[in-house]
Amino acid sequence: MADQELTERVRELISENPVLLFMKGTPSAPRCGFSMRTVQVLDQMGVEYGAIDVLPALQPLREVTTEISDWETFPQLYVNGELIGGADIVEEMFASGELATSLGVEQPEVAAEPEAEAPKSAQDLPAQSPPLKIEGS
Amino acid sequence: MPADLMELKEMIETAMPGSTAAVLDETGTGDHLLAEVKAPQFEGLSRIDQHRLVKAAVRSRFDDGTIHALTIKVVE
Repeated sequence: MADQELTERVRELISENPVLLFMKGTPSAPRCGFSMRTVQVLDQMGVEYGAIDVLPALQPLREVTTEISDWETFPQLYVNGELIGGADIVEEMFASGELATSLGVEQPEVAAEPEAEAPKSAQDLPAQSPPLKIEGS
Repeated sequence: MPADLMELKEMIETAMPGSTAAVLDETGTGDHLLAEVKAPQFEGLSRIDQHRLVKAAVRSRFDDGTIHALTIKVVE
């Protein structure tokens, strides 16, 4: 049974924000690959959206979304009060143009990736965060 | 215990009569699976509702922890 106060709060957020993303982390610092992929699609659509980081209250929020949307995994994208889906659905709908329709925007032109800019080898990739240090060895 | 791919396929096909399902373990980890499903029940449904149908068919295997992630591909 989901917490009733939290459920009400989530319902309010969904109705107040025409485009609302529940995600792990934030748009500028996603903490999960699926959330990152969803943010990347939304950023290309050029719409304003609200984003809620679910990590501080993952289990309670999972119970709430299971109750109101019958969906327990994150990310979750809501448009006009309806759950559209997670990363897979959002990407499929982006590719087909359905997402633009549902958001009421023009499908962005997908610029052809210039081959020359593709990294040629791992050494050309931008620096990653340093590897995790293993303690106690 | 790794997921029984054949059991999952049968669960989906039983829950949705007339459907055909292929369940694949793409990562080789046994718990992140891909289900490709073609079903007459999908007709006219939104993508999220199509996915809900498939998830509902195998919910007990999520609940008991056998599967952690199931990517669903709807085959037209």
